[in-house]
Order: sequence, then C-alpha cells, then structure tokens
Amino acid sequence: MKQDNQNVMAVAEKLVAYGRKRGADEIEVTVQDGTQFSVNVREQAVERLTEAGEKGASLRVLVSGKQANASSSDLSEATMARLIDNAITRARLGGADPCNGLPETGPAAPPADKLGIFDEKITAMAPELKIAFAKKLESIGMADKRVKKCTGSTFGTYTGAVYLANSKGFAGSYRRTFASAYVGFQSGEGDNLLQDGWGESSATLAGLPDEEKIAGKAAQRVIRLIGARKVDTQKVPMVMEPPMTARMMMFLAQCLSGASVDRKQSFLVDKLGQKIGGDLVTVVDDGLLPGGLGTVPFDAEGVPARSTTVVQQGVLKSYLLNTYYGRKLKLASTGHAGGPRNFYLSKGESSPGEIVRSLEKGLLLTGIIGLGQVPTTGDISVGAFGLWVEKGEVAFPVAEITISGNLGEMLQQVQMVGDDLRFDSTVCGPTIKVAEISVGGKGGA
Amino acid sequence: MSGMARREFIKLAGAGLGAALGTGLFHDRLLAGELPATGAKLFADKFGVAREDLRKVLQAALSKGGDFADLYLEYKVANSVFMEDGIVKRSSEAIVLGIGIRVLKGRQTGFGYTSDLALDKMRQAALTAAAIASSGAKVKPPPLRESSPAQQVYLMDKPFADASLDDRIAMVKEGYDAAMAHDKRVVKAVATLSDELQYVTIVNSEGLCISDVRPQVRMGVTVTAQEGKVRNTGSESAGGRVGRTYFQGKRSPREVGIRAAADAIVLLAAVDPVAGDQPVVLGARQSGVMIHEAVGHPFEGEGIWTKTSIVADKLGQVVAAPAVTIYDDATIPHLRGSMNVDDEGTLTGRVTLVDRGKLTGYLLDRLSARVLGMKPNGHGRRESFSVPPICRMNNTMLAKGETDPEDVIRSVKKGFYAETYFGGQVEDTGKFTFSVNLGYMIEDGRLTRPVKNATLIGNNLQVLKDIELIGNDTEYFLGSCGKDGQSAAVTAGTPTFKIRQMTVGGRV
Repeated sequence: MKQDNQNVMAVAEKLVAYGRKRGADEIEVTVQDGTQFSVNVREQAVERLTEAGEKGASLRVLVSGKQANASSSDLSEATMARLIDNAITRARLGGADPCNGLPETGPAAPPADKLGIFDEKITAMAPELKIAFAKKLESIGMADKRVKKCTGSTFGTYTGAVYLANSKGFAGSYRRTFASAYVGFQSGEGDNLLQDGWGESSATLAGLPDEEKIAGKAAQRVIRLIGARKVDTQKVPMVMEPPMTARMMMFLAQCLSGASVDRKQSFLVDKLGQKIGGDLVTVVDDGLLPGGLGTVPFDAEGVPARSTTVVQQGVLKSYLLNTYYGRKLKLASTGHAGGPRNFYLSKGESSPGEIVRSLEKGLLLTGIIGLGQVPTTGDISVGAFGLWVEKGEVAFPVAEITISGNLGEMLQQVQMVGDDLRFDSTVCGPTIKVAEISVGGKGGA
Repeated sequence: MSGMARREFIKLAGAGLGAALGTGLFHDRLLAGELPATGAKLFADKFGVAREDLRKVLQAALSKGGDFADLYLEYKVANSVFMEDGIVKRSSEAIVLGIGIRVLKGRQTGFGYTSDLALDKMRQAALTAAAIASSGAKVKPPPLRESSPAQQVYLMDKPFADASLDDRIAMVKEGYDAAMAHDKRVVKAVATLSDELQYVTIVNSEGLCISDVRPQVRMGVTVTAQEGKVRNTGSESAGGRVGRTYFQGKRSPREVGIRAAADAIVLLAAVDPVAGDQPVVLGARQSGVMIHEAVGHPFEGEGIWTKTSIVADKLGQVVAAPAVTIYDDATIPHLRGSMNVDDEGTLTGRVTLVDRGKLTGYLLDRLSARVLGMKPNGHGRRESFSVPPICRMNNTMLAKGETDPEDVIRSVKKGFYAETYFGGQVEDTGKFTFSVNLGYMIEDGRLTRPVKNATLIGNNLQVLKDIELIGNDTEYFLGSCGKDGQSAAVTAGTPTFKIRQMTVGGRV
C-alpha cells in the first residue's frame, strides 16, 4: 500500500508538471483510488453482491485567470495528456475571473493518521461477515409479525485514498474507510402500506451499532406508523426527531454555501453578523471531528480542514466557502471546497421525552418526502409522516400530510433543543421543538 | 474583458477546435449524419479489447456455475460549458471508460467492474462477479453474433459532437443574455450547455454482441429575480438526444433563457397556496413528473417481483379512471429518455402500463422478467459501467384526451393549478409528493394569482382513480431520475389534466 501510495502521488505530480509545461499557469490534479463492496440480501439469500476497485482523476487548469476542468476514469497517460491539452485550449477561450485560482499555500494540514478515519478492520473484514450482517438485519426485523416485508437489507464497505497535487507545491494524500448498513421494512394492510427503515454508517467497524440496534430501530420506526391517517389542516408546534433536524441542517448548509450566497439563491445573503436564529441555535462544522464521517485532513483543493462556528447562539458567523467564493465574497476560504464536513446543530439540555411531553397538541415529525426546499427564500413544503401528540402523549400516527414553513422562521422559533446529538451522518442534529408549522391535510381549502 | 474583445477572441480561436473538443472518433461519419453502430470495433481498435477477449471474460464470468452473464463496455465523452457573470466561467470534459460484468444465478446477481480494459483485469472482475454461484460447472459461451439495433431513434443531420467550442459558447451566451435582458429585476443568471456521446457494447452469454451510440444534449438556464426584499428563482431547460437543428426552433437558447426569467419574475408576486384538499389541474408544461412518480416507479420490475410495490398483484385489474391510458415509449424519436436498445441489449418499444383504466404491464429488465416468468421489455438501464442494470423508465406518457386545456381549467370553481416543479418523490407504498415551484390559484374557472411553495401529496391508486378530465395537448418534461443511487435521463409527458381532489400543502 505504501509503495502504491507513492506511485499514485508521483502520477499526480507528473500530470501537474505536464500541465505547467504545456502552458497552464496553474494546475490541480486529484486522483481517487478505492475499493467498494456491497451486498443486498432478500429472504435470507444474497440478492446482489458487488465488489470492485475504482480509480478516477479530476483536474482543473488556469490560464490567465480562466478556468477549465476535466475528469476521467481512464487514467492512461495518453488520455490524461489529451485531457490536459484540451483543458488548456478551452481555458484560453473562457472568460477571465480574478477570483479564479488555486489557494495560496498556507499552514500544513493535520496528519491524516491522527483523524481516526481509517480502520484496517474494515479493509480486512471477510465478505462472509458482511453477508451475515445483512442477513441478520433482515431476520431480526421480520421476526416481528407486524412487519410484512423487507424492502432491502444491505451492508457495504469502502476503502479509498485521495491524492491531491497542485502547481503551488501542494501534495497531500489520505486514506479513509466506511462501513454502512441499512434495512427497510413495510407494514400495514391491503393497499394501505407504510414503510420506513434505519441505517448507520461509521468510519470504524467498532463505531457501527450492531444488527439488533439497527434492525430493531428500523422495525420500530415502521410499526409505529401502522394505522396512520390524515389530520385536519392547521397550525401546530412541531418536534423533529434527530434525522429530521439533520434534514433541516442539510438545507441550512445548502443556503450557506458560497455558490448559493453569491448567486443570491439563498435567504442568508448579506446576513453575516445578524441574528438569524434563536438563542438555542448554535451550528458548527467540524472538519476535524475524530472519526467523523466527513472528517478529512484537507478539503477538495488542499486547504486544511478546521472547525468553524457557523451560527453562534443565533448569530450567523460564517458561510461555507471554498477559495473561489471566499475571494468573490471578499472573505476567506473556510476550507469547504467539496461541501460541509461534519455539520451539526449543537446539543441542548432537554431530553427527547421531555420535549415531546411539552407538546399540548402537535406533530412529532419522523419522516419527510419530497424536494420542496427553496434556498432563495428558505421556504419549505414537503410531505410528512409522524406521530400526532396530544397532552404530551403520542395519540396516533399520521401520513399523507404536508408541512410548510420557512427555514428562517423555524430557526428563530427553536424553543427546545435535545441532548441526544449523535454524529451518525455528515450532517446531524438533536431532537428539537419549533413553535409553529403549517400542516396541510383534510379540509381547509 | 469587453464583449467585443471576447467575440473577437472566440472567432480567432475557433478554427481547429472541433478536433480538440470532439472525440475525434468516427468524426467524419458523424458529420455525414451517420451514427456508427460498430461499437465493438471501437473497443477493439481504440482500447485493444479483442472479440476473443470478450469470450474469455464471459467464460471466466460463468466459471463458478452462473446461468447467465453479460458484459457492458462503455466509453463516454461529456462536455459542458458554463456561463455566469457574463463570462464563460468554466468548461469541462469528462471521460468514462470501463466494463461492468454481471453474473446471474437464479434471482441472484454478482457484479464486478473495472476501468482498466487489460484482459487480466477484466478477467479478475469477472471472477469476482462469478462468485455469486458456487457449483463450478463449466459453460462455454457460444460464438458472439455481432449486430446493430434494429431501429434508430436518434439519427440526426447535425450531431452535437461536431459543434466547435465557439458554437457552444454562442448558444450559452444567447440563453444567458436573453435571461439577463428579459427584465430589469433579473439579478442573476447562469446558463449551462452539456452534451455527451456514449458508446456502448453489450455482450452476453447467449451470444449477443450489440452496440449503440447515444447522444444527449441539455441546455439549461437558471435565473434569480429580485424586487425589494423578495427574491425568487426560475429555471428552464431544453434538449434530448438531438442535433443542433433542434435548438433553432422554438426551443432556442433564447427561449430557454426567457422562460426561466419569466418564471422568476412571475414568482416575485406569488403567494402561498391555500392549504388543504381541493381540485387540482396539472398543466402540461412539466406535470409529466406526476406520471413519472405516481405511476412509473411503482410499475418498475423490482417492486413487482419482490412484491413491495402497491401494484405488484394488480395485473389485469382496474386501477384508474376509464379515460386513463399510460405508456412508456423509448422509441419516440429524439427525446431525452429515448433508446434504441436498453443497457441489456433488449430492443425497446412501447409498453402500455395502464390501458383505459386497466393495469396491463410493468417495466421489466432481464432479472425481473426472469423471476416473474415474463419477457424483458427494454427497461434495464444503468448509469454507467460501474453499476448493474435496474428497471427504469424512459419516456413515460399519459395519453392525451379530447378536452380543450382551457375547458379543463374552466371546470374548476376553486382550486389549484401546477405549472412548474422542483421534482417529486415516491415510496413503494404508492405515497408520493411533488414540489411545485410555480402554480396558480384557480378561481371561477380562471387562473388568477401565482402561487409558490406548494406541495401536492397523495397516493397513486387514489389519484389514478381521481383523474377526471384529460386535455388534448401534450408537453414533455426533461428529467433526471434518481433510484438506488443511479441517475437516468428520462422524459415524462402529459396533457393538461384535472384531479378531482388532492391535498395541497402550504402555509395556513
């Protein structure tokens, strides 16, 4: 592996040198090299098994402040040389933008092997164990008579390395691993079916919850929806389970990206330093979180990863910027080329149970469906699943309703924040309660 | 840099760019309007994959007792030009090259792939896929019969692959400029032109060796408009498996830019919808997304044979109102989802899913057809060589009816009209959602105030029964459909049609 590492790095550096020789003022080359394995199980037999090694390269060149990009899964010397030549030709025909260009060489990135993102145990895991894991996920859930069907049970691993070299002298690489498991189930009667599931991912094998925990949670999530019905159109307070808070954070991260802000396709344009949320809202993106699913030593253009306080007690402190948008917005790169790393709403002090009990009448949101999130306005309108809460107790499950609101308003109206934050995805958050949301259902129009 | 200087520069540099930008392959024949069908020869000539090597790989794939194997060789070149802030901000070229090897044993699939086409690497991937079976039975694959698709649904006289970079820049600029000039409230526009040419050769253990060459082009403009503190975004795109002539008609880059800008401007005055159950008219412009989500997905083979789809046991049953006929037809010429053969080499055709209310068919690939004891009907597709084929839609259509679209709207006293969408999503259970970017209120049979931030939600069996009036118009919506992490280029088309009652979500 060591030998191989050096070889790939040498290839990347050679391509950088070639690009310079052919007339690029600046050039950056990224090579990815990985092995993926995935298995799907159905009715206790392997339904599909995939295993392969994959390589890919991407590059950008700059000529007189003009940029062109290229990528390839064919890493042969002839193809890569042709792609670089073509890119230089195309760059010359583009428009110059003074904000274009590679990042200036800055402080060194933290050592990759200290980040806890590579686990030999994942690399060495026998296929039989992976298949057994997926089988067990399915059998645990199906053991409950209320579960009718399994919609898929999968286990996967990934081991890969990223090599980045540029003409400013940056040369860095890191290896990382993932293991992930997911299982989904259906329940219900006749044509009134319901489905849900649960999955977990981890950078280390030890960090992955066991089959009982994952399948148990998946089954419980669908069983609790049995008998779901619509409710009347109305306005109510809403409690969001952690995966739903995570979806809200994903939307927030999208609104904070340099591209959205620069294109004015974000409701957070010109809001730096302003109060955009309630006091309970503190949002952090920590690229260095030990063992985090998004943890990396450096971002997609070689800028060292860091921890960024994005929102502090409701005040917007930072956008998520790469070098280009840093310059364009007259700020600095925050190390976010390639997107958010470990982006989360900081935990609060309430227990999830306490938060639900505080609802006199309202919705406990457990699932959403649909794409109705508009960064330009912050408007949200999606299909929803959940549990109806009355007098602090779950009364019945609900489905085929919509929830509508606005991210800006919801952030202002965060009334309680749970203590149940888990770093189980690259974007996450604890249980929260927001003061008001519009529910669309029966009647009303 | 001034616009004048840039045009000058483009003109000077334009010569010779065809060679730099195009693939250089089959260029002369492309220019002659002929899409070559000799893909297997391409992989032999350019990448050294001899026909005999393919048989050896197949043999390795079947060496552990698999009962079927196929190889999917892919070479794709994709170009894009992106304009923002009045300049060509980026251009890109992407190459995809590799082979995917699949082995079936009963209903089980083994899959491996490699982007290195050396024989030993291909054989190694084949052995990985082979391991799904374990009997060690020796099967010798039959000789390969090389063939071309028996139909051509994207022949064109001016293929895109021969467009020079200055041609492409001119198109993007036309769309960008039209959007920016449309209204002084337009504050931002981005315009993109993407085109690709994909060569595939599909070889299987039944002796099939078929090749296809598939163009794909898309021109898109996204516009943000602002008035006071209100900002909104509209977008529009055009394209398909088309040549350059397509963009000279009413789908010119200029029209694309204007439509995107017009939506952004209309949205400035839009209000939130009236939430709750109400009659809904789905406009022809983009409502294909509804047929795609509500009908298409639950009709895909996997959900049928695994019985997780709500329509799995409903073949032959009445599932929709009598006026409803829905089909998928990959052979409609030049649409984004059109294909001569699918990614398993099966000839495509029209598949009727619902015939005057009755469920008559499903969308099947080889595996689902095999399990169901039916015939594959051309719906096995894959995003690239690195993923196995799955059941997918191509061009999914609600057949047109006889009512004037105006009369469809006139039939509603109070309700909601959907014009453009962000997209939709569906579960196997049939529950779906679609997110409307721009809609209108219907009051006394007329479209009145523009509406934003609306969601339509329902379940497919109910909605199919609630379709009341179907217009005599049709438009196509260009989409990219995501499923199991794979993206597929699709088209969905509908007339203007009315649904008796649906739940509209919005602010209360």
